[in-house]
Amino acid sequence: MSTTDIGPKGPAKQAGDSVINYVDDRTAATSGIGWFLKRNIPGETSWFQTLGFATMAVFGLQAVTGIVLAMYYKPEPTTAYASIQNITNHVTWGWLVRGMHKWGASAMIILVFLHMARVFIFGSYKYPRELTWLTGALLLIMTMFMGLTGYLLVWDQKAYWATVVAMNITASAPIIGPYIADILRGGTQFGPSTLSRFYAIHMLVIPAGIATFIGLHLFLVSKLGITEPPWSKRSMRARRAEEAAARAAARERETRGRREVTVEPAPQTLTAEADK
Amino acid sequence: MADSQGNDAQNGQPQGRYDGPRAIDPVVDDAHDDDPEFVTRTKFLSSVAVAGGVVLTAAILVPIVGFAVSDSVKSPKQQWVDIGPLTSFPDSQTTSIAVSGLSQWSDARVFLRNKGGQLMAIWNRCSHLGCPVEYSKGGDNYVCPCHGSAFDSIGLVTAGPAPRPLDRFEVKVVTPSGQSSGSPGTQHGTWSTAGTSPTDHVLVGSAFSINSSQQPYSLHDPGEPVTGTLSNLYPFS
Repeated sequence: MSTTDIGPKGPAKQAGDSVINYVDDRTAATSGIGWFLKRNIPGETSWFQTLGFATMAVFGLQAVTGIVLAMYYKPEPTTAYASIQNITNHVTWGWLVRGMHKWGASAMIILVFLHMARVFIFGSYKYPRELTWLTGALLLIMTMFMGLTGYLLVWDQKAYWATVVAMNITASAPIIGPYIADILRGGTQFGPSTLSRFYAIHMLVIPAGIATFIGLHLFLVSKLGITEPPWSKRSMRARRAEEAAARAAARERETRGRREVTVEPAPQTLTAEADK
Repeated sequence: MADSQGNDAQNGQPQGRYDGPRAIDPVVDDAHDDDPEFVTRTKFLSSVAVAGGVVLTAAILVPIVGFAVSDSVKSPKQQWVDIGPLTSFPDSQTTSIAVSGLSQWSDARVFLRNKGGQLMAIWNRCSHLGCPVEYSKGGDNYVCPCHGSAFDSIGLVTAGPAPRPLDRFEVKVVTPSGQSSGSPGTQHGTWSTAGTSPTDHVLVGSAFSINSSQQPYSLHDPGEPVTGTLSNLYPFS
């Protein structure tokens, strides 16, 4: 540290410090952020551990582009397709924002599966991180559901009939399937009520659920820390030491040539003859 | 009392247990902190608060969930819809017609088959997963574009994954004044045109499912077989 740091701070820095201190004294924000972000991590982390954040970043993109798309989209059977044509062809940068939302949806699905594959291959779902995996599984289901509900909103022939089929697949689940499909469709038949229902689910229900579960997921990640890959130097060394100890113990159990001698009883016939 | 001091064995008391007067008598304790069964004021009030919270939350959530869900699972009220005069459906032909107003929400495309003096209304909803089937005039059969199910001229499955024949609508013919004209046909839901006049109108009513021998069943969702082991998977259908 150079000697220029000695002495009173400049007024701007003092004002900044006092604002930070004011907030910090009342919220402990600094230590909270430190707990969340400045964690110890294993030595051999790699780009594979960034897939979860990448998924969340794309979710943020989807949220922001979705909010602005909702300003132009009209969720009525007669207007939905026309309003999407309007967004794509007439609204300034509408093609770009809609494209970001459309391709972001695919990117999120791909990233979520890559993230899950990473967690599976690294064995990060094991104790004590089972509940992190569980919240992640719920997030996966909700992400897929976002894909289903968003697909219909385009309201062209492909979207319509693909969703009809998807709802009938839902309805073919045993016992409660027909009811779940009825609730999702907003009736026993696919129709206008389905569009507004899917819009509400896509806009409000699932995003709230995803945001909540991302919070829980991140809390658990922060609390439990992240795992090292199973092929990291440290875990390989531990495994080698374990195996060496097991081998040593096995050697210790060996009899080293001194075997128990089993004494066979004398043949009965001989004794019988001696008695005679 | 004085002679019993420190001499418990004489009084039949266990050794080493002092039972005489004490300088300070133990306070009679009314607190029941050590008794897990006893309902203290705190416990009682906590329970009341939790119960009240549950009741209030339910009072909010029950109407919300009921509002969102209950009308969806109601079966819609079916009604008869006039699809035009008998002359619109020439003899020995199958005519495709879009029908709206059959129930509260739905529009449906109906194939009205007029053959051998019988009217039969076949729904274009594929019994596999609900795609619209197409009628082929040349082969007098129906083909689903989605997964290749094929049906013969009266909607019985000839190929593909469909678990049951195409669903049908009930048909009847009435005179312009609303009197019934003709008579019910040989199969459920069909109508015999014998004795009708060309100006009479054709009406389409509620939908029903059939099995492979055309026995009527209540309307099932696509994908649900009406007979066999797998039909037990949908006990409320």
